[in-house]
Amino acid sequence: MPRSLPLFVLKRILAVLPVLAGAVLFTFVIMRVLPGDPAAMLASGPGSGPEEVAALRRQLGLDRPLAEQLVLYVGDIARGDLGRSFTTGEPVVRDLLQRLPASLELTFSALLLAVATALPLGIAAALRPGSVIDHACRLVATVGTSLPAFVVGLGLIYAFYFALGWAPEPIGRLDGWMDPPAAVTGFVLVDSALAGDGPAFLSGLRHLVLPSITMALFALAPLARITRGAMLDLLSSDFIRTARSLGLSRWTILVHYALRNALIAIVTALGMVFSTMLGANVLVEKVFAWPGVSSYAIDALMSSDYAPVQGFVLVVAGIFAAANLVIDIVYGLVDPRAGRSG
Amino acid sequence: MDRRIFLKGSAAAGAAACLGAWPDRDAFAQARAETLRVVAEGRPNSLDPHGTGVSPASLGTFSNVYDRLIQFDRREVSAGLYRYDYARFTGELAQAWEESDEGRSLVFHLRPDATFHDGAPVTAEDVRWSLARGVSLPASKNQLATGSLKDAAQFEVVDAHTLRIRFDRKDRLTLPNLALTFASVINSALVKSHATEADPWGAEWLRSNEAGSGAYRVETWNPSQQVVYSRFDGWKGGALPYLKRAIVQVVPAASSRVATLRKGDADIALQLPPRDIDAIAGDKAVKVVSLPVTNSFRFVAFNTRQKPFDDVRVRQAIAYALPYKDLLEGAVFGHGTPLYGAKSRVPAEASFPQAFPYDTDLDKARALLAEAGLGSGFETTFSYNVADATIADPIALLVQEALGKLGVKVTIEKVAEAQWGALLTQRKVPFYVEASSAWFNDPDYFFRIFFQGDWRWNFGNFQDEELDELVNAARWETDHARYDEAIRKAIGIVFDKVPIVLLWLPSFEAALQPRLDGFTYYIHGQVDFRTLRSA
Repeated sequence: MPRSLPLFVLKRILAVLPVLAGAVLFTFVIMRVLPGDPAAMLASGPGSGPEEVAALRRQLGLDRPLAEQLVLYVGDIARGDLGRSFTTGEPVVRDLLQRLPASLELTFSALLLAVATALPLGIAAALRPGSVIDHACRLVATVGTSLPAFVVGLGLIYAFYFALGWAPEPIGRLDGWMDPPAAVTGFVLVDSALAGDGPAFLSGLRHLVLPSITMALFALAPLARITRGAMLDLLSSDFIRTARSLGLSRWTILVHYALRNALIAIVTALGMVFSTMLGANVLVEKVFAWPGVSSYAIDALMSSDYAPVQGFVLVVAGIFAAANLVIDIVYGLVDPRAGRSG
Repeated sequence: MDRRIFLKGSAAAGAAACLGAWPDRDAFAQARAETLRVVAEGRPNSLDPHGTGVSPASLGTFSNVYDRLIQFDRREVSAGLYRYDYARFTGELAQAWEESDEGRSLVFHLRPDATFHDGAPVTAEDVRWSLARGVSLPASKNQLATGSLKDAAQFEVVDAHTLRIRFDRKDRLTLPNLALTFASVINSALVKSHATEADPWGAEWLRSNEAGSGAYRVETWNPSQQVVYSRFDGWKGGALPYLKRAIVQVVPAASSRVATLRKGDADIALQLPPRDIDAIAGDKAVKVVSLPVTNSFRFVAFNTRQKPFDDVRVRQAIAYALPYKDLLEGAVFGHGTPLYGAKSRVPAEASFPQAFPYDTDLDKARALLAEAGLGSGFETTFSYNVADATIADPIALLVQEALGKLGVKVTIEKVAEAQWGALLTQRKVPFYVEASSAWFNDPDYFFRIFFQGDWRWNFGNFQDEELDELVNAARWETDHARYDEAIRKAIGIVFDKVPIVLLWLPSFEAALQPRLDGFTYYIHGQVDFRTLRSA
């Protein structure tokens, strides 16, 4: 018997706190153990001697003992201050608030695209193993995993922007000439819809297409394979045979019995794919000049910019935990047996 | 509410909004012609001309948003293309200036009608405060000090529009320093209103807010994605610019920058790798700009105080062993001006950087190594910064191969960008490739940065008493002939002792729409919107 949902959510949120604390501590230590000195990096113009480097180190608080730095950092986090990035010159919270919606919007639309393609493809492949469609499914999966995202991205840009002129320029989320809609959620599509700004909505949608396809291709492979595998297992299982022998319609068997049971595996894969996509799409972001969080974190990491990397890990850990929570709730919906234990 | 009805309704609303809000075509074309769109890899990160850790792209922002007392004049290098003239100046906020007391006093007369973007008049007090700020904050004070601008007490307000600067002695580097973005004039009242006790110069606020009187104001400041500038119609620092707006966008992938430029969606693409420049050279739809960056150089450096590179013969041997032509071709596809192969060991002129008297000559290299007692070779590491990999990686491989012929076994070490600065500062790398530049072309200025001192910029960790004396004498020498003589001698020492081996002068390269006229290359390699016109 499932327990009440609010209690379950609350328990899970409490369980996440130690994970976040661990993430904070881990990144904090890792960043300082890694070779590299932000002060030497910052004082990189001719005219900066050892005194300037020392002064900068003092200013950044890097001359204090590690434990003291950690206490200060945790205190700042408690106040909602994640520090300031010296590569962008902006507060990390501001940077992340601006970039996270961009990453989420791209990830969600890519995921939607991937699911919309992978589910039918996987199901069709499972229904006719060894057929043309099964081979097509295998081909798509292989191509999706083996082609690097930037090759796909550049190819799409060349074909659909440069040669055919169907796609808009591969720069950011909106037409460069356009004023962005007032930021409410940070999602261009949502904000422009809220503001009733048709051209912005259309431009946002157009800018989403190529990067979404590039990313979707990457997510397509695991989803299609898992759908196919789960469906194959189920379609040959006893209860489906029973259903068939009872003369239930093909559609009912497929959707109500097989697919519904396959969903639990698919939803698990979806959660994993989502988390990976959110944090690991640097190349897609770079090729399409997409202002997302992963390129932000990589740029910061390259220049020993501690604050953004720490902020990024904290936020991604939080999202990862939230995604898992959502998946657990969805489990309960698709399969009552999964319950809400734990 | 029924979901289907909701969906239908919102689709209809979206369609209606689209139809209603399309901009007028002619108005759009006009606005497009007066708007500049720049795509670049570098991004600005500060609006504070004295800010710490300011990125190169920010210097372009400072040039357009702030005025200085004076700026470098420019000269035409080819039809419609200009470069800054290091030796000549023109007024920006100052309409005139004069020197007196044997150069120990400089008086600047400000344009009386200039105002800041908020409408406040630009006064001598603003200039005084801004210069005082520049000589006080750590990121700008060392640079300004190279032009004898050191102490806030040097700056004196004579009247509302007249400022005097006093010096102990005349310094030829004062005016060039005043033309740099470090000498930008800031709206003092505005910044002071945001200053705090802990931050008396308002650095926290100015980092993401502007307080200038320049030709453009910042309309949207979203530095890691795009910055939108709009023309300040009340600008008095020069003729009103043609372009009404400029959008500078950060596009990390070079191929995306090229594609948008060739498609006509972008007007200027910066920081294009040589390969992309070559690829678009034949395209009639774009114009390629290529100029040697005369205050910059690519080089191979030794730690001259560490074995075996403390032996001048070993350094010379390597200077004779480097495959210069292959390096220039292999690393930058020939896009650079050679700094090797000078015919004479006597410097051709008193200028720097100039070509070193070394060229590939393996016999000489072998002889020198044998003389140094290392005829059978030695082992060393050759390092480079990973952020510099596109150029440094082929160089490292070619150097490894070439030195292998001498029996020198080279291990290539790739260093993370974050670590590179620290390693150079601590002198932890014996042998490496790097590029650098200085603000000014005066050879003595160059030598003080790159061949003297205890800092990272003395890349060869070089120490030479005779060179120190010559450079110090040249610092204040007013007689041209004597200055040139001292500098030639100093260059001769560097030729002979090769603490670093120069390879080539990099090129500044950009691609633009052919209709753009008046592109001006400045010391910082960013775009000055003020001089651009659409033909």
